[in-house]
Amino acid sequence: MLETLSLSWRIAVRHWLIFRKDFFANVSPTIIDPALFLVCLGLGLGAYVDEVDGLSYARYVAPGLAVSTALFTAFFECSYNFYVRLTFENIYKAILTTPIGPREILFGEFMWIVLKGMGMTSLATVSLIAFRICHWEYAILMPLLGGLVAFACGALGLIASSVVKNINQFQTIYSLLISPMFFFSGLFFPITDLYWPLRWLANLSPFYHGVSLGQHILWAREVGEGLLTHGSALVGLSVVLGVIAYRRVYPLLYK
Amino acid sequence: MGETKAILASRDLQKRFGKLVAVDGVTLDILPGQCVGLLGPNGAGKSTFISMAYGATPRSGGELFVFGLDPQKDSRAIKKRLGVVTQEDCLDEAMTVYENMAMFARFSGVPKPEIDSRVGELLEFMSLGHKRDASIRALSGGMKRRLVFVRALLAKPELIILDEPTTGLDPAVRHLLWEKVLELKASGTTILLTTHYMDEAERLCERLIIMDQGKIREDAAPRDLIERHCPGYVAHFKNREVVGTLRTYLSSHPEGVVYEDSAGVGVRGPDLPWISEMVSKIEFAPEVVRPANLEDVFLKITGRGLGSHA
Repeated sequence: MLETLSLSWRIAVRHWLIFRKDFFANVSPTIIDPALFLVCLGLGLGAYVDEVDGLSYARYVAPGLAVSTALFTAFFECSYNFYVRLTFENIYKAILTTPIGPREILFGEFMWIVLKGMGMTSLATVSLIAFRICHWEYAILMPLLGGLVAFACGALGLIASSVVKNINQFQTIYSLLISPMFFFSGLFFPITDLYWPLRWLANLSPFYHGVSLGQHILWAREVGEGLLTHGSALVGLSVVLGVIAYRRVYPLLYK
Repeated sequence: MGETKAILASRDLQKRFGKLVAVDGVTLDILPGQCVGLLGPNGAGKSTFISMAYGATPRSGGELFVFGLDPQKDSRAIKKRLGVVTQEDCLDEAMTVYENMAMFARFSGVPKPEIDSRVGELLEFMSLGHKRDASIRALSGGMKRRLVFVRALLAKPELIILDEPTTGLDPAVRHLLWEKVLELKASGTTILLTTHYMDEAERLCERLIIMDQGKIREDAAPRDLIERHCPGYVAHFKNREVVGTLRTYLSSHPEGVVYEDSAGVGVRGPDLPWISEMVSKIEFAPEVVRPANLEDVFLKITGRGLGSHA
């Protein structure tokens, strides 16, 4: 098992080395997009909105935006990027001739995506704290939350990779799955007033639980309760999605 | 006895992809130090066979042992002792030559302090020392191919699998790679090679296995294959109209065989005097007269040439 982990780690390191080569291009969409959302919604739309849940609109959207960096970085890494490595670049074909097997590749993908999600969420959280848009007291939990959300959303990306017939089909999955998850997550407005089937569906979304827990943490409100409810739901969903992703992608690497 | 000594042993090996039978009951032993060529038309099952050998593809039936181990259970232990020159280059385009090789050295378990010298030596061995810090994108096709050889040799493998190693390369690079393969062979490395080039197979391998539709059709030394299937000489004609004349001649000289292929028509006879005699009797001059070769054997066995249209 130790050798499996050490070989998996080398896959994560490989991805980091490639990522690092074009660091700014790779980081910018994940950081700049939420920053734009924050400015446009918080300051722009926020001027027309009194308060949501007793918070200014900028403070309301801030935690969700920090968590969204994990959603996007993970989904894109495990859909487009993974698919390109698998089909166009044939990177795994060469790697599989070495002592690394399909299991180590998949473990490595998950290690990488968790670390990437942790990094991106941390970066966003630090910026929010620096601009005093959120509380810092429990912020130490944010990297863990980012890693967990990235794991679950990365698993969704891998499942998508096992479903699509060509690279264009990711767009449909993005529009039908990732966008609704993003907009109906409680990030922009509380979903408590939504029609009940939508609320029920939101409970199946790892991003909804991620945003909710992020709000508990960065608003410094009932963090313990948030961990118990949304935290455990997120862990449960992560396990289920992780297992499905593993089972679906393994045969693509070993056929 | 052979089974305990064989580097690679398969018994009735099967691989199916849905309804497609890619490998259909292959039984063979590859002994230490042998250089074995696996020949066959596209889709014959060669690549599937070798992919099973290094544990990248599960088998559907039969038995397979590499170094006495089952690739489905011990692929990691097996892959530590073999190197593969993959059919496609599969190099990391975003990295430099050195970065690429250092990364694969880590994958292959080369201890960190040895990576620098190992990569350096192998780059020199493949005449790529001057490209150490070049980006992969800046390399020519031939250089990339040589780099794939470096990658396969990083772990000092006991068995090297070459999957169409020289396809699409210019003659100079092909000769360089052959020289390197012969050096590895001389040092005792066992080699399994798939190729479409008969000259490559004849030059490098002491044993050839011809596969077609997932089955082994022949397994022998190159010379024996020619002796067995296509002994003698061949007269080849570009002009297809000559075929009627040839058939008429052969009706009274049954030792010869006529065939047609994409380049024209030809006759294979038992020896050179027989061919000369034939040429003097008919009124057409052949384009070329030559000894029968492995290509003739291959086309005959895989059903697309010598003998099959006779």
